Amino acid sequence: MKTQKTTAFDRRNFLMNIGGGFAGLALAQMLTEDAAAKVPFHHPPRVHRVIQLFMTGGASPMDLFDYKPELERLDGQMLGPKEKPDGFTAPAGALMQSPFAFKQHGESGRWVSEMFPEQAKLVDEMAFLMAMTTKTNVHGPGTYMMNSGFLLPGFPCMGSWISHALGNIADNLPSFVVLPDAKGLPYNQKGCFSSGFLPVVHQGTVINAAAEQPVPDLFPGKTHAFANRDSDPAGLALLDTINRVHAATHPGDSRLDARISSYELAAKMQLAAPEAFDVMREPDYVRRAYGMEEKHTEDFGRRCLLATRLIERGVRFVQVWSGPQGAVGNWDNHASITKELPPMAASVDKPIATMLRDLKSRGLDEDTLVIWTTEFGRTPFAQAGTGRDHNGGTFVSWLWGAGVRSGVAHGQSDDWGYKAEVDKTYCYDLHATVLHLLGIDHQRLTVRRDGIDRRLTDVHGNVIKEILA
Amino acid sequence: MVTGSVGECSINEEGSIGMFSFAAGLLSVLLGAPLTTGPDFAREVRPVLERSCFPCHGPERQKSGYRLDVRAIALKGGDSGNAAIIPHDAQNSPLFRYVSGDDPDMQMPPEDSKTPPLSEREITQLRAWIDAGPSWPDELAGTVAEEAPHWSLQPLVSPAIPGQETNPIDGFIQAKLAEDGLAPSPEATRRTLIQRVHFDITGLPPSPEEVETFCSDPDPAAYEKLVDRLLASPRYGERWARHWFDTIQFADTHGYEHDIIRANAWPYRDYVIQAFNEDKAWARFIREQLATDYFYPDQPEMTPALGYLGAGPFDLSTYLTAGVTFDYLSRDTLVTQTMSSFVSTTANCARCHNHKFDPIPQTDYYALQAVFSGVIKGDLAYDGVLAVKEERGRWQALRAAAIAKDRDALLTPDNEARIRDWLTARGAGATWTPLDVETFQSTDGATHTRNADGIIESGGARPDKATYTVTGTTRLPEITALRLNVYTVDRLPEKGPGRHDNGNFHLSEITLRVFEPGELNPLELTFTRATADFNQKDWGIEKAIDGNAGSAWGIHPAVGMPHHAVFELAEPLVIKPGARLAIALRQVHGGGHLIGAYSLAVTGDPTAQVAALPTTVETALEIPDTALTEIQRVERAASIIHLVAVDGLAALPPLSQIYTSAASVRIPDAGKAPKLASIKTPKPVHRLERGNFNTPAELIEPGALSAIGALPARFSLANPQNEAERRAALADWIASPENVLTWRSIVNRVWHYHFGRGLCNTPSDLGKMGGTPSHPELVDWLAVWFRDEAKGSLKALHRLILTSETFRQSSQYREDGATRDGENRLLWRQNRHRLDADAYRDYTNAVTGQLDLTMGGPGVAHFTQGPGAQLTPTLDYNAYDWDGEGAGRRSIYRIVWRGIADPFMEALDFPDLGLLSPQRGFSASSLQALTLYNNNFVLHRSKNLAERLAAKSSDLNTQIAQATGLLWYREPNNKEQDAFREFTGKNGLAALCRVLLNSNEYLFVD
Repeated sequence: MKTQKTTAFDRRNFLMNIGGGFAGLALAQMLTEDAAAKVPFHHPPRVHRVIQLFMTGGASPMDLFDYKPELERLDGQMLGPKEKPDGFTAPAGALMQSPFAFKQHGESGRWVSEMFPEQAKLVDEMAFLMAMTTKTNVHGPGTYMMNSGFLLPGFPCMGSWISHALGNIADNLPSFVVLPDAKGLPYNQKGCFSSGFLPVVHQGTVINAAAEQPVPDLFPGKTHAFANRDSDPAGLALLDTINRVHAATHPGDSRLDARISSYELAAKMQLAAPEAFDVMREPDYVRRAYGMEEKHTEDFGRRCLLATRLIERGVRFVQVWSGPQGAVGNWDNHASITKELPPMAASVDKPIATMLRDLKSRGLDEDTLVIWTTEFGRTPFAQAGTGRDHNGGTFVSWLWGAGVRSGVAHGQSDDWGYKAEVDKTYCYDLHATVLHLLGIDHQRLTVRRDGIDRRLTDVHGNVIKEILA
Repeated sequence: MVTGSVGECSINEEGSIGMFSFAAGLLSVLLGAPLTTGPDFAREVRPVLERSCFPCHGPERQKSGYRLDVRAIALKGGDSGNAAIIPHDAQNSPLFRYVSGDDPDMQMPPEDSKTPPLSEREITQLRAWIDAGPSWPDELAGTVAEEAPHWSLQPLVSPAIPGQETNPIDGFIQAKLAEDGLAPSPEATRRTLIQRVHFDITGLPPSPEEVETFCSDPDPAAYEKLVDRLLASPRYGERWARHWFDTIQFADTHGYEHDIIRANAWPYRDYVIQAFNEDKAWARFIREQLATDYFYPDQPEMTPALGYLGAGPFDLSTYLTAGVTFDYLSRDTLVTQTMSSFVSTTANCARCHNHKFDPIPQTDYYALQAVFSGVIKGDLAYDGVLAVKEERGRWQALRAAAIAKDRDALLTPDNEARIRDWLTARGAGATWTPLDVETFQSTDGATHTRNADGIIESGGARPDKATYTVTGTTRLPEITALRLNVYTVDRLPEKGPGRHDNGNFHLSEITLRVFEPGELNPLELTFTRATADFNQKDWGIEKAIDGNAGSAWGIHPAVGMPHHAVFELAEPLVIKPGARLAIALRQVHGGGHLIGAYSLAVTGDPTAQVAALPTTVETALEIPDTALTEIQRVERAASIIHLVAVDGLAALPPLSQIYTSAASVRIPDAGKAPKLASIKTPKPVHRLERGNFNTPAELIEPGALSAIGALPARFSLANPQNEAERRAALADWIASPENVLTWRSIVNRVWHYHFGRGLCNTPSDLGKMGGTPSHPELVDWLAVWFRDEAKGSLKALHRLILTSETFRQSSQYREDGATRDGENRLLWRQNRHRLDADAYRDYTNAVTGQLDLTMGGPGVAHFTQGPGAQLTPTLDYNAYDWDGEGAGRRSIYRIVWRGIADPFMEALDFPDLGLLSPQRGFSASSLQALTLYNNNFVLHRSKNLAERLAAKSSDLNTQIAQATGLLWYREPNNKEQDAFREFTGKNGLAALCRVLLNSNEYLFVD
């Protein structure tokens, strides 16, 4: 491709500038979330839809995917740092081997612990990042970083950037949907799905999968009888009429038209969303396969199935969270890996494996990417007996689906699993790679903000070609 | 810049070619010192650079601000702030390391570039060249054209006003329009003007009556009167405070993982509202918010102004576990906020390297960090009343003098009088009655026995910790204090009175409970003061009643002698016949620090008589004044004055609290007691290589930006260890009339809110990456006028803008304007505004008769709150009852939860306050439509409005006309009337109100 000299202004305008004068804002820009992608790609995309599975709390690499025989040899020895590193919650204890058995799986011979028997069967379809690393050992900044590339709040997360860049596939569902754990929101609450300085339409729409009204305000509540199935459409029709008369007498203001269209799209969403959210429309065997009939997999299974349905219906980016913030019910296993990790692992393993197979059977793997990740890893040192502390040094993520090279592993941690050692990757590289698969050059997806052309990847990021098909 | 005539230049170790090194080089030549010779620059080095480096670092492009065609920059380095060539040290010169492959993280030219890398021979040559000097002849030094400073940094001079317009603003605007062949639009109708100006100044709608009165006012100055009336309204401060809070990301909670409420943030909100309403001069507003404690110590009522320094987020988790990271990030938010809000500069871009676009070296950024290196966010306790503040200061000084046994401070006539009064009140001292003990026991296996004298002894195996519980009665009708006596016993180690090997004990907590006759549940009593005849250093008796079992009373080294302590009750306890007292002595320090022998007594005498005094003082009380030795007099004064001072302090009203950043604060930590955090002297701040905490470079002194030529970039402080002085110096730097950024920033920011966009459309960035100003002369004229003529009065600035023809223009579309200036940068018409989130809610409360104009006080929760997984609660905005108390309060008074935003407000583009928000966005999504149409707030207010209309008239036509009158300021036309009648007939009046509250005519202000 010929290098073209582009000014900052060109780049800004390339993907919709948010700060510009409202008079100049095109209708489609204000309705990006609802509009189908009209933006030229930087290169042909391999992926059109993304599901991100986020394990809240810091899923332990050396107990799941990163087998460390050296820990078996050195188990119980006090070899860790003498002083408490910044972000550890306590001084390092003795080295601790994984309490779980590891085996090699598939033709790729990937080591997986007994915690993930179902995912182990699919390792030949996955690409592993074995040496991801981050800049913090603290949940809040760590979760921000894995979502937005910054330790600080206020920056758009990956889903928002993608929604901003590509808009939606269907016009009757939000472009970016978040499915939090039924037990609660992750660290930073809704900050993790914020659109930051991008328009609010690109923030993650939180769908509470188990609630009676999964999206607040999709329909009026029951308190007010005058708002009902008869008056709702009649009111929208009347509103449309008066808004059109108003717009006709106030020409030259695209915002008025944008608001008129927004109500039309809202009506479409009212029709489409209940069908999309209703996982009970799936056959019995599908729901069973996702684990919806078993207590420990019911919630995560439901949300994986919902993710599949939403992706199938044209949602661009779905994020499924495992675990809320807090001390229990997530992957932040300080007190006991033996007791706390198995129920978490069991709650996601079968639903994830089923979802991957289901995406394939629906043909969605053709253009869908699935990412499994977490905010950081855990120490090879014991804490409070058999727990493990926070460790930003190294952790594992995997990718699956369109454009992903199957059965590969990229990067390597040190012998203890304490720090990334070979081919380490940051969130920047993961984000750059995801954008690349979506047809976007991460260096060219920018928005001017406070004197900087902001990017999801800040000033970093390399596409990890080694894991691309 | 070097322009000398010497053939070669040698460079000092910083790699910068300053006068000093230059002279030194010259000297070495003159003295004939041997000059090492290396490869010839022109012949052997420059061609290689030209080939392999110039494509990205030469005359055409300067990636990372670095170029090798200009000597000064080649040596000094680019944006990283580090020298690229270190003289005589190729091995440590980044330039050499990058091209030689010695740096694992950076290879030049990059692998994937088309530029050929250096050959082995060329690398060797380069090394030799650097190691030998390097020598770089002047004729090849290259120069950079001296660029004129960016517009916002140029000296601020008032330009001539073009044209003859009455209002200078119109002169500037119309001159520019005329250049483009455009005419301004005609004045908007009065009906439009009153709506516009109400929205603009107050954020509330006019009533239909106000509209009619204004429209029919024959006074030609009716508009000016209206503007003055609205600017004088308290509603103005409520509206404009919100703009400021967006700009500085002020919210009521921390954000991050532990997103908990800051119960003491709201006084700052009230301060800002009041400051706007009082039209505080801008320079004064700056000084108060940054350092009112330093500038105006005699006006402690202004202390909430410091809430400015507490506006941003706080990561409690990082604070607790990752101190180094926390310090730098926490200060970063203060630097960013201060520079962004006051001088519209993106100083934070220079955290990792020199600013790429604006003249801000990395050292400036860290100098700003150093300004805030003595403070931390939290609750600051203060006295808001000067007299109280002074009185507290006096008592504290006396208490300190008593503790220090400061003879000169203690033996003053005033204190002698205090001592006499105290002794008079004490009289002969209290009479103590032994408790009539019924039961006594010890936990943890120690035996408890009571001897003939009523002394209880602990014996048997010595447990590690124990709690003694004694119950009993008294015949006294009421009691005011409890006394604990501890005794020596021969069998105890060192004769006691403790059981520890050294004779000591530690009383962690003492509690007194009373069982009223027949009651099974006791009442726990509160002790207000504890005194003892002897206190071990750092183990004072007050620790036995502080509620903290981790601290205790001890008596070491005064072992082998009896002691006693007195515990005063908050109020006299009336003893009903049959009432039982239960006293628990918790001794949980461990190591067998237990009392060996003790008894308990009570008194009903006034508390003035009861305090325990050191034995020496007790003895001194028996001696006539004249016979006292100096030492006895000091001892006596110290004990008594301490008691008097503590009483004096206790009698003062409680301290007020403000959430800010200060040297000593309490950190709100949810349910638990807030943690005290203090920074005694400002922490040293280092420049960080590439912004990395792990690579600190040189120490940096406090200062500000070096780009304002007229002001020194580093502060000269009388006492650099006084952190308040640092903040004050920054405030002075910002508020200085010489600071060209400050004055341009504020007038442009104000303009932004009046027209929907600034003359420079990036209100918090006037730098090179910010917008290009449409009317730079007008910015300058306004800045000078605001500073010099208006003396920093925002209301004067508002009045000037609001009364201009430019502001009063119609917002109607014009073909010619749209063709030539579609974005309306030239202001050929006024911009139409959509109600922002806050205005929508306030308008809707107002038109539906639900507006509650109560001002000030703690924030209103427009949500219901439940427990969360950890510290952060769960909020449910949908469950909120819109009939509840505070439901009609203005939005400025609602609690803004940083991490759990109100979805309704968000749908209308209320900003994410995780970030500074100098501009609000505009969106129109399907989710916004659903929210406006279905959210319970709108539905509930639709119902309220229908009820309001129905109460006024039962006639449907009248109801409809009143509805459009309230929401649209006009009568419905016939077509509308018919449509609305039909719709209402089928669906009800509330359903019609719902539609109207969604209409564009309601949401937009012309």
